[in-house]
Amino acid sequence: MTRHGARVLVIDDNAANLELALYLLRAFGYEAEGRSDGASGLEAARSGRFGIVLTDILMPGIDGYELARRFKSDAGLSSTPLVALTAFAMGGDHERIIAAGFDGCITKPIDPHGFVAEVESYLQPTSA
Amino acid sequence: MPFDLRSGFRNAGPNFTIVSQPKPTLHDIVIGQASLVEHAPDAIVIIDESGVIRLVNAQTERLFGYYREELIGRPVEILIPTRLHRRHVEDRRRYAADPRVRPMGVGLELFGTRKDGREFPVEISLSPIVTGEGKFVASAIRDVTERKAFEQRLRDLNAELEDASRAKDQFLASMSHELRTPLNAIIGFTGTLLMKLPGPLNDEQERQLGIVAWSARHLLSLINDILDLAKIHSGKREMVFETVPVAQVVSDVAASHAALAADKGLELTTQVAEDCEFATTDRRSLRQILLNLTNNAIKYTQKGSVRIDVHGARRNGRSAIVLRVSDTGVGIKPEDQARLFGAFEQFDFSHLGQFDGSGLGLHLCRNLAELLGAELSVTSKYGEGSAFTLTLPRER
Repeated sequence: MTRHGARVLVIDDNAANLELALYLLRAFGYEAEGRSDGASGLEAARSGRFGIVLTDILMPGIDGYELARRFKSDAGLSSTPLVALTAFAMGGDHERIIAAGFDGCITKPIDPHGFVAEVESYLQPTSA
Repeated sequence: MPFDLRSGFRNAGPNFTIVSQPKPTLHDIVIGQASLVEHAPDAIVIIDESGVIRLVNAQTERLFGYYREELIGRPVEILIPTRLHRRHVEDRRRYAADPRVRPMGVGLELFGTRKDGREFPVEISLSPIVTGEGKFVASAIRDVTERKAFEQRLRDLNAELEDASRAKDQFLASMSHELRTPLNAIIGFTGTLLMKLPGPLNDEQERQLGIVAWSARHLLSLINDILDLAKIHSGKREMVFETVPVAQVVSDVAASHAALAADKGLELTTQVAEDCEFATTDRRSLRQILLNLTNNAIKYTQKGSVRIDVHGARRNGRSAIVLRVSDTGVGIKPEDQARLFGAFEQFDFSHLGQFDGSGLGLHLCRNLAELLGAELSVTSKYGEGSAFTLTLPRER
């Protein structure tokens, strides 16, 4: 049972940052799950239980870019919003991320006050 | 002609008059043993129409390691690496069909070969000589080993610099990422505590967490400034000069600081002259400078007002827009004003009860202003307030 009707999947190999995102989302009434690597994140996403997926970019193994490639070429997932949650904040990073197929990008450090609202802005009102 | 091309200078025989003549003729000066040709810095080799060497100078002996007796009467290909003989014979034929003064093998790498078989890169210029004895071709041959080596060193050095520059960019990108990652948890969890999501805080806990949150933000802005400066210094800061709505930028900056000013009970006002709506500049840099100046003005003003005024002016015969951020704050001592725009300068703000006052903000602003072709200056009266003025060219 989620207050807002969308489960959120967060993928981040950094335990503290994963916990922070999950904590904030849950505190604002979302049901949220975490995964700490790209492969298990992708597998969880394919279960179809999530209305939106947030992922770190720089991770060992399947990184955010590779995850986006597989995610957006998967017919079952391509319409699910995929948002980068990354500490890449140099000029050109944002453009690179959007060009890789992400629907949006939230830069770390996040603003804890505005984070959940920012995630919400990427959720389609009709999402299951 | 009084000399024998077949035997060359040294074996010129009795008819070879250069040495015996007390007063050399022009002829002697050009080709005699004491002549320009004999002592030219380039190896000079004269061949006949069938490609046989008829005359060489002293430098030819030094460069190719042969005595001239070993060369005279031999095909010129003796001086050329075997692998290039076929090409050379064809080149000679082509030159004979169209003889004129020109460099040889433009765009080709040319090589000579010494008696001991060692090859070296050369540069050759060719001149046709027509005499009563027939047609000849003179070639001036220069050893370019050193120049080639120098060029190679330059290329290597360039490649190294490019590698170093790439490595530096990579390092900066990684540093930015790695510093932000732990700051995310620091700022984030400080925020959740201050939002009292886990539970209530007492006043002192809240005050101290506020200091943590403020310090973490300060650290983040330092990291951003350092990265910006690094990019400016390596020429990597991207500037997009376009028509920028100056009035809009000013009102955005003011709006983003309205709450901060209101918290301190300060009046924050903006006034933009009608003819200053637009400038051709880099929006991001302009915004960054104004944000910094406005933020400083609010930070160092305890009561009164902060104003952003924009008006037109002429500077050095060019139309300019003057953006002025003034405050009624603490002001800056005259002795501090000169080093205000330096990096990591320390100033005494102890009377404000604040623990910053060192940093990179103004240093970055001045660097950005330079990139915009603008000037950033300050006037201040200690105890009464400061005014920072950005004079921005209207057109690039």
